[in-house]
Amino acid sequence: DSHIQYERVGADVTMKCGSMDWDAAVTWTANGTDIDESHLNGSYLILKNVDLTQSGQYSCYEGSSWHLKYQTYLRVGTPPKEPVLMCRSNNYPKGFYCSWHLPTPTYIPNSFNISVIHGTREMVCEKDAFPKNRCHIRYLQLFSTVKYKVTLTVTNALGKNSTTLTFDEVAIVKPDPPESVVAKPVPNNPRRLEVSWQNPSSWPDPESFPLKFFLRYRPLILDQWQHVELSDGTSHTITDAYAGKEYIIQVAAKDNDIGTWSDWSVAVHATPWTEEPKHLTTEAQVTETTSASTSSFMPPPTTKICDKGAVVGSGAVAVCWTAGLVLAAYGVLFI
Amino acid sequence: MAASDSPSAALRRRDLCSRGIRLAGKMRSDVVDLLDTYVERQGLDASASVVAVEGVPAAAVERWDEQTGTQRLLENLAAYRAFRALLAQMLEEQREQLGEADAALGRALAAVLLQVSAFAYHLEELLRLESHGPPSEEGASPPPPSHLSLFEKKLRGLGVLRELAQWAVRSARDLRQIAKPSLGSSSAPSLAESP
Repeated sequence: DSHIQYERVGADVTMKCGSMDWDAAVTWTANGTDIDESHLNGSYLILKNVDLTQSGQYSCYEGSSWHLKYQTYLRVGTPPKEPVLMCRSNNYPKGFYCSWHLPTPTYIPNSFNISVIHGTREMVCEKDAFPKNRCHIRYLQLFSTVKYKVTLTVTNALGKNSTTLTFDEVAIVKPDPPESVVAKPVPNNPRRLEVSWQNPSSWPDPESFPLKFFLRYRPLILDQWQHVELSDGTSHTITDAYAGKEYIIQVAAKDNDIGTWSDWSVAVHATPWTEEPKHLTTEAQVTETTSASTSSFMPPPTTKICDKGAVVGSGAVAVCWTAGLVLAAYGVLFI
Repeated sequence: MAASDSPSAALRRRDLCSRGIRLAGKMRSDVVDLLDTYVERQGLDASASVVAVEGVPAAAVERWDEQTGTQRLLENLAAYRAFRALLAQMLEEQREQLGEADAALGRALAAVLLQVSAFAYHLEELLRLESHGPPSEEGASPPPPSHLSLFEKKLRGLGVLRELAQWAVRSARDLRQIAKPSLGSSSAPSLAESP
């Protein structure tokens, strides 16, 4: 006959070949491979200090006939350590859920049992289909000062362990992060960013149980966050952004009156509006045009041009003479 | 049309609800601070569990979301009238026990008592907007003289303050429900009609 045998890591295991006598001639196999006789004590199979790799199917055959006399599936594992249990209400006031896991694997099947007691009343925690290590409870009462006591017991073939959580109705309230966070530049405002978001969809009644929000933002190039707490509304305009710098922005939520802050939302990135830069070649053309116009409007030559050092070309000499004749004419008039 | 349906009554209700929500928030914050002071001054363990004490209105309620506006107001009013008497008794006991030695605790108790009275008034005003009006206080007699030991009185006081803190949270929620346009007291079935 075949069955499952569970043993602890490090244990010494002795397997008997069914009802065969100790001195019967037998052959043992592990997963179809013959086991060396050094591991046998008569017809008993001795496995010392077993480890996880020795899990498998062990079979015992009668020596001459090779009739299968005994078969067992050896599962090497460990008893469970104290499980990790967490309870949270992300859908207040509807109810809460508890989830759990083992800090280290046992390598063998475990079963979990959870009990929830509120005062003298035992409540049923309905197991979720997925994930498997989770169950949920509907609140039967609200605003109770009586604590909830949740005990999780994990059992396997090698032992059991348990943990207990005790908490108030309000202490475990923690919403999911805000959803659909959007950040946009504000046209013609180089220091503003408009941020908007939505209540988490798991929060059933934000009108009666309003959330408040915490917004944090920083330019990518800096490590320091700026924070803003908002008691109502699902939008905010940042007015002190550094011009032209890309920002990272996140939002968290909390019930207005009770519980703790949610995790931060998915981060969004945005850069404030900046003015379009002018095209470079256009600027150069404007500069040349301006120079040419200026030279055509240059004032008529003055006496400075008559200075010896400043004279350039034969045209300047004629101009000097002209200026001289005009001055001489004026001088004659006033004698 | 009932008086509670008129536009001015709706505005008055919304105003009273808004102010009441703010008052409930402030009251809760002050009660939580008072709880810390009370536990410390009375030498109690903050995590001590206190069984339900006779005469202290429990905030816990089943099917809270199914309550009518009038039910909410009536339950709140009954609770705060009871707390008014309980806090007055605590204040008296505290003065007898400690005299003027702990004036801070006495002042904090008195401040919360004032807020409780103000909140009860808010609730009475809201009920006056309903066809019923607030019930008289004939049934809300002060609690009998305490026969409890000093330690039992301290534990009872802890229970009173914890329950009051919970009521302050509940009251803000109740008023938000009442303030909803579609679920105001006037549109909910009256107490006589509710199942």
